[in-house]
Amino acid sequence: MLVRFWGTRGSLPVARPALAIQGKIARALVAAGGRRFVGELEADTWARNNLEFSTYGSYGGASSCVEIEAGEDCFFICDMGSGLREFGIDAFRRCAEGHPRVYHFFLSHLHWDHIMGFPFFGPAFDPGAHIYVHSGHPDAEEALRRQQEEISFPVPFDWLKARIEFIVHKPGETFEVAGVTVSLATQYHSHDSYGFRFEKGGKAVIYSTDSEHKIDNMEAEAAFEAFFRDGDLVICDTMYSLGDTVSLKQDWGHSSNVVAVDLCHAAHARRLVLFHHEPTYSDRDIQRMHGETIRYEELVRADRPPLEVLCAYDGLEIRV
Amino acid sequence: MGLSWQLRNAGDRLVGAPEGRVDETTWEAFCGHLTAAVRDAAAAGLPLVVDLSKLEYMSSRGLRALTIGRREAGEAVKITLAAPNDRMREILAISRYDKLFTIADSVDS
Repeated sequence: MLVRFWGTRGSLPVARPALAIQGKIARALVAAGGRRFVGELEADTWARNNLEFSTYGSYGGASSCVEIEAGEDCFFICDMGSGLREFGIDAFRRCAEGHPRVYHFFLSHLHWDHIMGFPFFGPAFDPGAHIYVHSGHPDAEEALRRQQEEISFPVPFDWLKARIEFIVHKPGETFEVAGVTVSLATQYHSHDSYGFRFEKGGKAVIYSTDSEHKIDNMEAEAAFEAFFRDGDLVICDTMYSLGDTVSLKQDWGHSSNVVAVDLCHAAHARRLVLFHHEPTYSDRDIQRMHGETIRYEELVRADRPPLEVLCAYDGLEIRV
Repeated sequence: MGLSWQLRNAGDRLVGAPEGRVDETTWEAFCGHLTAAVRDAAAAGLPLVVDLSKLEYMSSRGLRALTIGRREAGEAVKITLAAPNDRMREILAISRYDKLFTIADSVDS
């Protein structure tokens, strides 16, 4: 399986202001220390090898959208955040090269940041496209239709040309989609959210976003340890610090980096991906959080095998 | 490694001292000891010091047990975390629990 991140930001898409870009350029120039480059290629190679990611790159700002290349002759996409627009453009390119125009969406939940990309999803206007929307929510269709009502958007849902089907699944249910075994688990979030587990060829990818692990129900985490069990890649909501989730941001429906590490340790997962980044965080904030999470994993690892901690950014690809 | 807990009255405060690790296998015992100590402290009208000097480390479940203890304490009992080792200091900083609890360098400070 190949996991491709099209949107990794939580709650609200963000764009870095000019001052943030200027800061990156200034830091890069200072780091270069007067070095001369023959051309852009040489400069790019030097920057890639010598600058921190937060200076050389960016975690991006599109909201949740993750593609999993796993299904036979179809696309798998988790959530329809603003990153879906870029995915749709790339899907047109791949379809022009012969990829079948079949899309399977798996919706964690129906909050705006997770569905806002659909009105801008080009393939929905393709009469030859077939779109399946898998969800634990029976009101998924209502949510997608409502955001395209005239008061919110100029193009009504009924104008979309693709064949669109909504399929509601029950938590705990296991089903097959295009050669992939899929299961879902209920998560604590306003109006509920669902995590999805995808298994194929002995590998497992888990997508668990917008999931708060409540302090007064820690016994329930055994169910998540089972859901994450032996996961090759676990994509987790790590929006806040643990301190925030038990104080100011309690009941906001999100989790922390340290809880994600502990769940993955207990589940014997191999790789954790930090995801659903707080929109107020700068690139340097997210990089710091990533570094702290790697360190936390070392501090509490004990005699377990190492858990690799990765940090999602728009454009990241991970082969499983 | 398991977890043990000792509670003593130091005159002007109760001191609870966990020893070992608090992780997914021991957090419930830690939480039980801590909340019982909070109730004892409330009954005695004393603050509670959690002596971390013999604690190897605490994962998120242990940290969250601290929050449960804090809720049990309410305004009645002041809880101070004392003498964490370097590893626990890092964990408290990474989790931002160093912003939620008073952390003292020693049990006597």
